[in-house]
Amino acid sequence: MVAYLTRRIALAFLVMVGVSIIVFLLARVIPSDPVGRWVGIRAKAEQRERARIELGLDKPLYIQYLSYMNGFVHGNWGTSLYTHQPVLRDIATYLPASLDLIIFGMATALILGIPLGILSAVKNGTIIDHASRVFSLAGIALPTFWLAMVFQLVFFRQLHILPLSGRVSMLTAILNPINHITGSNLLDSLVTGNFAALGSALSHIILPGITLAAAPLGLMARMSRATMLEVLGEDYIRTARAYGISEIRVLIVYALRNAIAPVLTVGALLFAESLVSTFLVESVFTWPGLGFYASNAILTVDYPAIMGVTILISFTYIFLNLIVDITQAFLDPRIRIS
Amino acid sequence: MFTRKNYGRFGTAIGGAILLVVLSFAAIGFSQGQPEVAFYADSHAIMTYWDPSLSYSDEVFVMQNMYELLMYYDAKTEEVNPGLARSWDKSDDGLTWTFHLQEGVKFHTGKPVTADSVKRAFERTIEMEGGPSYIWGDPVDHFEAVDDLTLKIFLNYPAALDILASGAYGSYVFDPDVADTDWFNQGNECGSGPYMLESHQGTTEVLLTKFEDYWRGWQGKHFDKVVVKTVEQASTRRLMLESGQADFTDSLPMPDIDALEGNPDVDVVRASSWQNSLALFNTAKSPEHPISNPLVRKALAYALPYKKIIDGIMFGNAVQARGVVPYALWGSSDRVKQYTLSPETAKVLLAAAGYPDGGFSLVATYSSGDSVVRGMGELWKEQLANLGVDLKLQAMPFDSTIAKGQAEDPNDRQDIFFFGWFPDNADPMSFLFSLFAAAEPPVLNMSYYNNPVFEALILQALRVSATNREEAINLYVEAQNMLMEDCAGVGLYDMDILNVKRASLKGYVPNPCYTNVVFWYDCYREE
Amino acid sequence: MVLHEIRHALRLIRRNPLTLTGLSIVLLLILVAILAPWLAPYPTDVNTSHIASKFQPPSTIHLCGTDELGRDIFSRLLFGCRISLTVGLFTIGLSLLIGLPLGVIAGYSGGWIDEVIMRISDMVLSFPSLLLAMAITAMLGPNLQNAMIAIAVSWWPWYTRLLRSEAISVREKDYIAAARAIGASWGRVIFKHVLRNSLTPIIIQVSVDFGAIIMTSAALSFLGLGAQPPRPEWGLMINTGRDFFLNSWWLVTFPGLAIFITVLSFNLVGDGAREILDPRLSRRGR
Repeated sequence: MVAYLTRRIALAFLVMVGVSIIVFLLARVIPSDPVGRWVGIRAKAEQRERARIELGLDKPLYIQYLSYMNGFVHGNWGTSLYTHQPVLRDIATYLPASLDLIIFGMATALILGIPLGILSAVKNGTIIDHASRVFSLAGIALPTFWLAMVFQLVFFRQLHILPLSGRVSMLTAILNPINHITGSNLLDSLVTGNFAALGSALSHIILPGITLAAAPLGLMARMSRATMLEVLGEDYIRTARAYGISEIRVLIVYALRNAIAPVLTVGALLFAESLVSTFLVESVFTWPGLGFYASNAILTVDYPAIMGVTILISFTYIFLNLIVDITQAFLDPRIRIS
Repeated sequence: MFTRKNYGRFGTAIGGAILLVVLSFAAIGFSQGQPEVAFYADSHAIMTYWDPSLSYSDEVFVMQNMYELLMYYDAKTEEVNPGLARSWDKSDDGLTWTFHLQEGVKFHTGKPVTADSVKRAFERTIEMEGGPSYIWGDPVDHFEAVDDLTLKIFLNYPAALDILASGAYGSYVFDPDVADTDWFNQGNECGSGPYMLESHQGTTEVLLTKFEDYWRGWQGKHFDKVVVKTVEQASTRRLMLESGQADFTDSLPMPDIDALEGNPDVDVVRASSWQNSLALFNTAKSPEHPISNPLVRKALAYALPYKKIIDGIMFGNAVQARGVVPYALWGSSDRVKQYTLSPETAKVLLAAAGYPDGGFSLVATYSSGDSVVRGMGELWKEQLANLGVDLKLQAMPFDSTIAKGQAEDPNDRQDIFFFGWFPDNADPMSFLFSLFAAAEPPVLNMSYYNNPVFEALILQALRVSATNREEAINLYVEAQNMLMEDCAGVGLYDMDILNVKRASLKGYVPNPCYTNVVFWYDCYREE
Repeated sequence: MVLHEIRHALRLIRRNPLTLTGLSIVLLLILVAILAPWLAPYPTDVNTSHIASKFQPPSTIHLCGTDELGRDIFSRLLFGCRISLTVGLFTIGLSLLIGLPLGVIAGYSGGWIDEVIMRISDMVLSFPSLLLAMAITAMLGPNLQNAMIAIAVSWWPWYTRLLRSEAISVREKDYIAAARAIGASWGRVIFKHVLRNSLTPIIIQVSVDFGAIIMTSAALSFLGLGAQPPRPEWGLMINTGRDFFLNSWWLVTFPGLAIFITVLSFNLVGDGAREILDPRLSRRGR
């Protein structure tokens, strides 16, 4: 196990270095105007030339890469060309909001999706099965921002029961500002006893959360249903039932353990991808997360920000895949980590 | 008692109780005495620069409330009104200006605003050589603080310093003792304006609170706090305005503005602006390219369906451009040539150029996501198709359009560059010089126009604009007609500012010099 | 032998109404894609505007209303069918072509081969797909084919990961050992057993990915990196209609419905295919 972990970690470093090199080069291939971003498009030629030198853009590519990585390992992730802030500070600003939203969304998707899939498999062929299949498909196939806007229209404009946008209401932010420790509104307000803010934060996360959860929920439900259907036809399930083991135990202890693998795999991938793919949901609900930051960075070809975000994502994938691989081995004892 | 069934009910009861407690805390929180808070929903990211010497972008909405200028430009009267300077005079030769400052003005840091601090602030802006540094750096020779309230400025040439000092960028007065870029970037400010920074989040949210010691005082109705927040999604901005969560937004798509016209709670503020939209033609391609032939370029100008653009795409909220200086800015005139849609003329011109049936294609670039330009492009494409010309529309991220326009070889650049522009201050030079003076690398001159006669005209106009406005206008008219004749580009439309605000928000006066800036000190809410 | 299997398959299809529905819709879509120029009421609206009749709500003369330039949405949807079907199928096909073999090899072989392939797929997953697409289209030119290649290049790791996970579970199973024991070759084992038993999650993922790929391609088109306007690609229609949603819901809703129906039908067909191909399911005779 230790050897396995050491090897994975060593390879992880290689991967991140590889990612950093390739992204560095990719960003340079794209036609862009880094000097204009830095100094403003209204700047004159002299200012632009000075900025070019200041940004180190006159140096050969490999020197630029090495000096960036040198700074990186010392905690300096570069300065964003667009926001003019240290990239690390930008990420620290926007990441907690994303995490709040994604954890809420993925948790909802898992908690609702997997049971839905199991139910659908158990009641295979009935109207419940058909209904839940169409429901899961709706979650997957409907455009996310369409769902988001429809939710806004229904729950905010028509029914007036949920807020329109933002992480907390404006009044709460002014009268009961949250003392930030982690940056997560839910955690920090709970821990500091700021219940007014907690209530506001909870009501604000519901709509974007379920919008975000829609596609993963559908996917998890579909996957669980399909894999459960397979597993339920196996002989050992028949045997367990014949022995009189309760249906719930059969489902959870025997069937689910063997069916869960692809669900977890996809779940981990979805989680990591959601860090930046939630741009549209963040946009509609004015949720200041990493998706907004990352897409802005890409569209303005903001090299330092792109590098910082990509390396962060890379680390997340590696970490989560490691967890999934270990979990898969744990759940299915036949798999040996070779 | 603690059977499995009861667990469920017990759990639900506890959960419900907690929810109730949380919600009631929330309710209690809201019934405390509330400050008057205004909300500005901005369609873009806001604070991309914090340093007033470098600020050159959308943060102007916030900066103009935290910092102050020496004077302010009134576009309607074309006059400059006192700001931190209560009066000023200039010498007969126009080379020495004397500003008399207001008394009792304090920075948010507590220090008084003196002529010396103003001098050192402007010197810092010039020395930093950031984007807007040229505004003072070019004309100013040196500053002199005669006494605490009197500042003398000595110029290299008789520039219109009142115009420059009242511009939206580069002219902020700040406390030079604490000014430091890193300090600014951490989210700090040191202005003297009516509102101070209370908190912010990244580039997308700012909370301002009133500065108690503001020199104009706080009699009458004012806002206590202002929230400026980035709300990218237009539909969300509109819902915020309709529900009263937002008081003001800088822009909404045309169909939304149309739809809101009948809403009694929402006002659409329509005013002229200095923003226009241009199509620049590549005049630097090698001679075998059709676009390098002025006859072809003129044919293109005659193939634009201007009326359809104004009515169909801009919903009537714009005016066809004349030349390249917007109609609301001095320097524009009826004497400047304006093209019209005339396919017959275009056909004749193309034939004269040697392309009687068209038979060539052109590449036009524009910033992706810009639905207005996309619509214009598609309408133009249809007209040109009738003439046998294939207009290829290429959407790309804005930075990529700039990169393409600055390619080394002019033949690699686009044929047509769609561009929207507004000036740094009330001066046509921002259009004529920045966009059409020869420059290598091009920077913004995406028509690559290179005409020394033209440049001599506009530089002459600049020299006399402070002393002889009439002559300056004549020179600018001549210059623009030259541009139109050579057809380096064509003006598409001059945009009207369309801000949307709650009807209860009073005191907002749109000013093309400070586009989309709300001077919150002058505003209040009246239900 | 083959005839028997086909008859068996047809019997299964007929017995399952949902699969039948899905299949019919897919066939209908293919027909629409081919016959669009004849079926569309306003075939020229693909690239002609009538700005005076912009934003018309759905009516008898414009079944799905008109868009921001007055073009008939229904006609554009029909023409868009070809583009969207092509985009979805081509991109998925390319991703599978790259991802499946890699996943099988990784899962079945284990050891270093597995590690290397997995790390490469981790790397590819880490790149923002938008950035990758921008770079590829910058190098190769902004058009639909290059956008599809760009998406496929960033998509394949999903299938690799999925298939590897299944292959790992399968390789430990008894029947694999049994097959090897009686002398079945490596390739035969992989094809017959590993692939067939891994089909379920793959088919699910593929049939689900169709919609996701269309929307990714739409995002690229919106940025000018894929289909250029005025091409009537469904995703592009949705993205351009986003600005006008509150007033003119039909610009977004009908292309969205088109995508939904397409994804639905592919999913139903996918489920049916699973039942036919997956030995464990068909054995139960459901």
